[in-house]
Amino acid sequence: MLAELFNPYYLQIGCFILINIILALSVYVPLSTGQLSLASAGFMGLGAYTSALLTIHFDLPILVGIIAGTLIAGLIGILIGLPTLRLQGVYLAIVTLGFGEVIRVVFINWESLTNGSVGISGIPHIGREILKTLKGFGFNPQSMGLQNNQFIFLSIFVLLLIIAIFLVWFFRRQHYSRVGRAYAAIKLDEKAAESMGINITYYKVLAFTQGALLAGFAGSIYAHVLAYISPADFSYHRAVDILVFTVFGGSEVIWGPVFGAIFLTFLPEVLRFISEYRYMIYGLMIIILMAVRPQGLIDVNIINWIKSKKRSKRGVTHGSGSEKSM
Amino acid sequence: MVLEVKKACKNFGGLAAVSDVSFSIRKGEIFGLIGPNGAGKTTMFNLITSMFPLTTGEIVFQGDNINGLKPNKITEKGICRTFQNIRLFPLMSAEENVMVGVHSRSKSGVLSSVFRTKSQRKEEAAIRKRAKELLEFVGLDDFADITAENLAYGQQRRLEIARAMASDPQLLLLDEPAAGMNETETSELFQLIKKIQTLGITVLLIEHDMPLVMNLCDRIAVLNFGKKIAEGTPEEIQNNPAVIEAYLGSEEEEEYA
Ligand SMILES: Nc1ncnc2c1ncn2[C@@H]1O[C@H](COP(=O)(O)OP(=O)(O)OP(=O)(O)O)[C@@H](O)[C@H]1O
Ligand SMILES: [Mg+2]
Repeated sequence: MLAELFNPYYLQIGCFILINIILALSVYVPLSTGQLSLASAGFMGLGAYTSALLTIHFDLPILVGIIAGTLIAGLIGILIGLPTLRLQGVYLAIVTLGFGEVIRVVFINWESLTNGSVGISGIPHIGREILKTLKGFGFNPQSMGLQNNQFIFLSIFVLLLIIAIFLVWFFRRQHYSRVGRAYAAIKLDEKAAESMGINITYYKVLAFTQGALLAGFAGSIYAHVLAYISPADFSYHRAVDILVFTVFGGSEVIWGPVFGAIFLTFLPEVLRFISEYRYMIYGLMIIILMAVRPQGLIDVNIINWIKSKKRSKRGVTHGSGSEKSM
Repeated sequence: MVLEVKKACKNFGGLAAVSDVSFSIRKGEIFGLIGPNGAGKTTMFNLITSMFPLTTGEIVFQGDNINGLKPNKITEKGICRTFQNIRLFPLMSAEENVMVGVHSRSKSGVLSSVFRTKSQRKEEAAIRKRAKELLEFVGLDDFADITAENLAYGQQRRLEIARAMASDPQLLLLDEPAAGMNETETSELFQLIKKIQTLGITVLLIEHDMPLVMNLCDRIAVLNFGKKIAEGTPEEIQNNPAVIEAYLGSEEEEEYA
């Protein structure tokens, strides 16, 4: 029974959903200061290559590789975030998309390090490492009624689930704070925010860097889940995919990108039976959504509606709670 | 002197929006800045708050030269403003707007905010309390949860004043706060600005509503075509021939326009 439920194929989709949630957040966070960044695929690639190369060539533990990959992406994030501060809207989108392409071209051409367009294989696999470690302690997945393969993907899934929940919690709390208010103020009116004493340079670079850290982290994880990466994984297709998660789901509240990532990762799998048409349906849905709900599927009104339903069910009314949607 | 503007000039291309303007504001007074449309009043505000750099000249606030500081630093120093064309954060509630105003007087960062440290919770409660006080001060306590864009025009103007006051300014700049207000609202505004003065806050007021300016201000400076043409008490200004001509002149022009 347990074994059937934990079909490795489903678990792998589950893992991709969770990675995509983190990637969607990497667009959502800069966007919450009004910065439309398409650099996530580039930062994801930086994280993935950094961690893959460090763990392969220096035999470093995966955890160290992931931390290094995340930090490198964050560092480059600061370097890109500073000069692009003045760019608004679509101009920032174009420049950040260009950045992503530059990164990809570097991966292709720096063959001695990155193995060019062939990519890097044999990257240490998180699930296998976890299994190996646990086996060292005398653990055997069979005792849970699971095969090794199932356990490997289950362990990654659980790990990523915990991380994703933590990140959503983190950025929700940040949102309902002084920092979140500064972000929202900058998004709504940069000049007014500056006049009210907000250091817009600091907060915009902070948000951009948080996005880069998230994407770099997701990329490092991605490398150690697939065990194989190539420059094509971080092309502008990926950049657009990530953007669409957030645009489709909605960027007003954090549940938008989360929902967008879940739904849009699932959809192509669900539509697999009509394989040829599935991307057409996908595209059509996005066009319809943008025409009908340009703010994305999940917005403040929906969240408030869900909250009020929950409230009336419980039969209690909160006063003006400390957490309100901005 | 709280504020000294010394020979301030601002050119936009060939247009001298402000040229060679000097004036000083004493602590605790309400100082009026008037003049016909396009005289350079708002530009003067933008110079004081560093929204634009000065072309030449100097602005001194409480003894410190504040030229070239970033606008947020100016706010930290103790100058805050409202906008002629209301610039509230439209999707935030009235309370959140004022809470943003407290930004420069609070300091919680990302980690203390996320992990809600004791000092952060204390600070957040203090910010909320301050916002409530200020909403009450401007008479908007019943509208705390209303989104700014859904407030009436006069309420938005008062909310802007509350938001600016949240930064605990020494000097408050009000750009046409009575614009679009009816008579009752204007007289309430009069009381409000008087009340602000009693708190020890110095006020620099741009306003086209002459009865309001004349009743409220201790001293007034008049701009015309970017130049200061007069300065003095309301009485002196009302009887100043150059001022009368500037106003009559501009009204004639408007009739022909
Ligand atoms: N950013 C800008 N760029 C170019 N010209 C500007 C700019 N801001 C203001 N001006 C010009 O400077 C002059 C002074 O404008 P300002 O807004 O300071 O006038 P004002 O006295 O506030 O008028 P009003 O009573 O209509 O608000 C006007 O001719 C205006 O067109
Ligand atoms: Mg003006």
